[in-house]
Amino acid sequence: MKILIADDSRVMRQIVSRTLRQAGFGDHDLVEAADGREALDKATAEAPDLVISDWNMPELSGVEVLRKLRSAGNDVKFGFVTSECTPEMQQQAEAAGAAFFIVKPFTADRFGEVFSPILG
Amino acid sequence: MSVDVVVSEDDLAEMVEQVWLSYLDPEGVSPLVPTGDHGQPSEVHSSVSISGTWTGHVVYASSTAAARRAAAAFLAMDAAEVGPEDLSDVLGELANIVGGNVKALLPPGCLLSLPQVVLAPESATRYPNADRVGGLYAVWDGEPVSISMWQSRDVKNKEANA
Repeated sequence: MKILIADDSRVMRQIVSRTLRQAGFGDHDLVEAADGREALDKATAEAPDLVISDWNMPELSGVEVLRKLRSAGNDVKFGFVTSECTPEMQQQAEAAGAAFFIVKPFTADRFGEVFSPILG
Repeated sequence: MSVDVVVSEDDLAEMVEQVWLSYLDPEGVSPLVPTGDHGQPSEVHSSVSISGTWTGHVVYASSTAAARRAAAAFLAMDAAEVGPEDLSDVLGELANIVGGNVKALLPPGCLLSLPQVVLAPESATRYPNADRVGGLYAVWDGEPVSISMWQSRDVKNKEANA
């Protein structure tokens, strides 16, 4: 499967990649985006099977990316890895069609719990 | 609604402990040790602003050695290989993670900014009309690390008069 990791922090993209490997999902094809606009473009052009997105990014926020994808008819499995975890944000994420919400800091166990049903 | 500081030093310590256990000290052998020393020196710092029901700044500051070590742990590289861009990225992410967790403890309706990073002491940055209202001051293997919260005075006064 192809996974798009969208985060404006290079460090966090690397940590997400590493944690995916630690959680046993190292065999998947990983693609990266460094801001919301690039995430939207790559979610369309690369046709990933899963998008793991930060919330707070330059150009477009993660939830704006998700809304734009859905309004364009793109049903890619999409969720958030973010340091922000207020109930209002979780509601916005769910309303926009997010499949998961992971709060930073996270562990490989948390990734396993969330991604096992999605990635197998 | 009047919103005073609702994030205590213990709350900050708990958040930071999670960051350390998740990324910087997974074995739990080099925890942050609180000193309470508000005057401890720093060489680099990063911050995020929060606006809404609580308005102010969350600032992460440390020595360069502590930042370099954090970057090495985050990026799984040798500390000697860590460059300025690595330092900036990691410092920004640390402010973002702590700031995001702080925001979660505040009343609904707050917005978090993108992080700002300054490779200079914390004293190089001023927060006009903001007062330091709390913080965690600690050492990590002898190197200073702090997280402080600065609340905007205008908003505080307005709320106090509400």
